[in-house]
Amino acid sequence: MSSTSESDGLLISRIRGGEDDAWQELIDRFEGRLLAFVESRLRHRAASEDVVQETFIAFLTSLPNFDTTRPLESYLFSIAAHKLTDHLRREGRRPALPLAGAGSSQGDWDLPGPQRPASSIARSGERRGLEETALVHAAAQLLAYWRNRGDWEKIQCAELLFVRGIANKDAAAKLGVSEQTIANHKFDFLAKLRAAVRQQGLSEDVFPELHDCG
Amino acid sequence: MKSPFTDAELEAYLDEALPAEAMSAIESALRQTPELARRLTAINARRDADLHSLGEIWRRHRLTCPTRAELGSYLLGVLPDQHAAYVAFHLEEIGCRYCQANRADLEERQTETSEAGKQRRRKYFESSAGYLRRE
Repeated sequence: MSSTSESDGLLISRIRGGEDDAWQELIDRFEGRLLAFVESRLRHRAASEDVVQETFIAFLTSLPNFDTTRPLESYLFSIAAHKLTDHLRREGRRPALPLAGAGSSQGDWDLPGPQRPASSIARSGERRGLEETALVHAAAQLLAYWRNRGDWEKIQCAELLFVRGIANKDAAAKLGVSEQTIANHKFDFLAKLRAAVRQQGLSEDVFPELHDCG
Repeated sequence: MKSPFTDAELEAYLDEALPAEAMSAIESALRQTPELARRLTAINARRDADLHSLGEIWRRHRLTCPTRAELGSYLLGVLPDQHAAYVAFHLEEIGCRYCQANRADLEERQTETSEAGKQRRRKYFESSAGYLRRE
């Protein structure tokens, strides 16, 4: 899922050239999964179809700015998620959140302990992109290595810890292994990511979780 | 009492990326628990401060999502056992909403009458083709 595939890239070029057939092909290819994504939340076919329709229109209007290094499917899902969120807010199902920092001059996001406060490490969007790319590259490499070796348990462990964010002991219980095994997998994974970030000369301070070896 | 939601799950909520049941559970809890709104606001503030989160990056780049072809093989029951068990874990335990949508679409395509789908896709085309930019 790292970038737009060759066939998707070709399709995008044809749509940018105004080809009706190409646009119909994109709709045919992606509408089913977008409809399933939206309908799982709305549980209402007509309203879900309206959200998907808005998604396709938003895709076309944003097409001049579409970055073809992004996977097409992920881009369409992100537009659908925004349109769905708007719809849920209009319906009053999705509660509004207070503005960040309201009621506090400091906010709640400064890093604990010896790490620098986030406010002191503001940097350019370009640098932020480099940081993210370095991390993705290192993680993808390690995950591919595990996948090729059939180390599914390590992949499951990393997903439970970092995607679901559950504690080591809960991950151990779900996978039927010891907490020590989970801690070892976590340590290996984070050590490799830290090394990749350092190798690129990037600051580790902007990845708070890289220091979480608990 | 400990919150049933982790920070990573709250991040996914903000991105509309959790399974539908979990999204609804957070929306419901938000109406009754001011602490939850405070945590979500703090996550937004962290994002505004440009700090990275592994979970967020993982989901955005879909680092462990099976390909659509793998999902198709999974549904046909032709993946090796361990690989199939991993795909099931990703769909059910991790609850990847994007892969769940792909699975639902693949299942639907096997059963949907071709005419209903064609009509729907034609309707999308007709309502959006006016936005195609012809050079």
